[in-house]
Amino acid sequence: MSSQTRSETRREVSTGTGAIVAENLVKSFDKGIVKALDGLTLRVSAGEYVSITGPSGCGKSTLMHMLAALDRPDSGRLMVDGADLMRLHDPDGFRRSRVGLVFQMHNLLAHLDAKANVSIAMLGTSRTRRQISERADELLEMVGLAAFSHRRPPEMSGGERQRVAIARALANEPSILLADEPTGSLDSHSVDRVLNVLDDLRRERPVTIVMVTHDDGVAMTADRMIHLVDGRVSEPTA
Amino acid sequence: MSFGWLVRHNVWSKKVRSGLTALAVAIGVMTVVALGIVTDSLKTTAAGVLQVGAADFTVAQKGVNDILSSALTEQQLAKVRGIDGVRSATGVLLDTERLDKAHPLVVEVGIKPVDLKPFGVQIADGRAFRADAENEVMLGIHLAQDLGIKVGGTIHVTDKTMRVVGVFNTGNTFGDSTVMFPLAPFQAYQRQPGGLSLLFVKVDPGTKVSQVRSAVERSSPLLVTISSLIDFGRADRSYQLITAADRAATFLAIAVGAIFVMNAMVLSLVERYREFGILRAVGWSRRRLIALVFGEAMVIAFIGAALGVGLGFVAISILENLPSLEGVLKPTFESWVFGRALLTAILVTAIGALYPALRAAHLSPQEAMRRE
Repeated sequence: MSSQTRSETRREVSTGTGAIVAENLVKSFDKGIVKALDGLTLRVSAGEYVSITGPSGCGKSTLMHMLAALDRPDSGRLMVDGADLMRLHDPDGFRRSRVGLVFQMHNLLAHLDAKANVSIAMLGTSRTRRQISERADELLEMVGLAAFSHRRPPEMSGGERQRVAIARALANEPSILLADEPTGSLDSHSVDRVLNVLDDLRRERPVTIVMVTHDDGVAMTADRMIHLVDGRVSEPTA
Repeated sequence: MSFGWLVRHNVWSKKVRSGLTALAVAIGVMTVVALGIVTDSLKTTAAGVLQVGAADFTVAQKGVNDILSSALTEQQLAKVRGIDGVRSATGVLLDTERLDKAHPLVVEVGIKPVDLKPFGVQIADGRAFRADAENEVMLGIHLAQDLGIKVGGTIHVTDKTMRVVGVFNTGNTFGDSTVMFPLAPFQAYQRQPGGLSLLFVKVDPGTKVSQVRSAVERSSPLLVTISSLIDFGRADRSYQLITAADRAATFLAIAVGAIFVMNAMVLSLVERYREFGILRAVGWSRRRLIALVFGEAMVIAFIGAALGVGLGFVAISILENLPSLEGVLKPTFESWVFGRALLTAILVTAIGALYPALRAAHLSPQEAMRRE
């Protein structure tokens, strides 16, 4: 994709389903001493796969928390999947149904098996017990872990755990998948498996993916790379 | 997977922690159940005497510690008999005596032979004692059967060997376990000539009992009338003390139990910061998280209640066999025991779980997930 085409695509970004529009986001901590986001502006189209890179402390994780409605910017405009996150009344419901989250440390519950870890995200939705069970089986099959459904996280490898975490993030069919260093603690073989799962997912249905990563190789697999420096977008690169 | 399954699974997967918390609840429940049964038994024993006289109400001395130590006179009896609406009034003198290990607290009733019928006494065997007989007694049918004594036999009471001239039936378990003496010799033995303990009053048909009771209480500031367990509670200070002690101990048991539960759940909360953060991150609402913590607490409450009732029964059976309480404590295990156990367990765990549940719900997900 040429640089001109990308620009056109960005101009065409809507604020509707699956799209992200962030304008002039500011977020400070410690009574304004630390500025994690400093006028960040960003647009992601529905169905786009974007990687976010940048040095430690540049605001990558803070941005992800904002996009997931885990935190709110001090100022600016933030539309995610058609929802205005500056005026969001039900952030829990937003996270439950509109975005899926994957973390570096997989964050699975150690006392639950893989199927229960996936199912847990569907409790409180309109799904019946049977539908939850069928959906969890379907997702575990999709990430290649159908045979591991009764294994607990300590009985799985890092890559397998991360694939369970991806399955959990997709449980409620979100329009956007937010992944914060999902391959950060994996060996190369596991990284490939996780990236393959994301590829398969995109082939199956349109889903916007925003992935924070330190790994240039992983970042290059995205449609577009965004580099953050000091809480702002530095320069888009191919 | 369902929410209920997750609640049960969480309790089961932390067996030691759940077990210890349930034990804390059980100890609170045991204390409340055992105390409840003991005090109820003591109250029933203490109030039993009032149910013997087949009366509309009983008259006692106001402000006594123990209703058995109420001190009235035959003059007061005569005055009550003269009140409008009083059909009959029977005066009795009461005392208690230890007969043997199995009968440590037998109630002795001094009564005139002429008052036996109005008092509801029916001779089942033998005859009534004579009014001035110093060595004649009658035994209630239960006591006679318990002691294996028949009419014509003897019994050692009031420091004398007395002849049993009759066995009577009152239709009341408490009354049928008493010994009855002719009033005058009993007053002489007690060194209370003309003395009475209680008056049992029946009112004229068609007359309101409350009106007659008011008239009796107006007739003397030293008199109190009793027609229910609640009235008995007002008249008998020991009863008031038992009730107050029961309430205080119940409050303490619930407070201590709740602190134990809170302590266990706060420790568990610290262990589970990350878990709660993950649940919030995947979209669980605060309300759902509170429901999870409370749901787990309620499962523990039910286990604690069941365990506590069992421990309570064990404690009661130990107390029942204590030499100082043998024969005095006659526990009855009624349905309220289970209701009280469940209520205690729910209170203890709900109070104990409240703070940890609120803390869990207000954790910042990103902060919580950073914790190890």
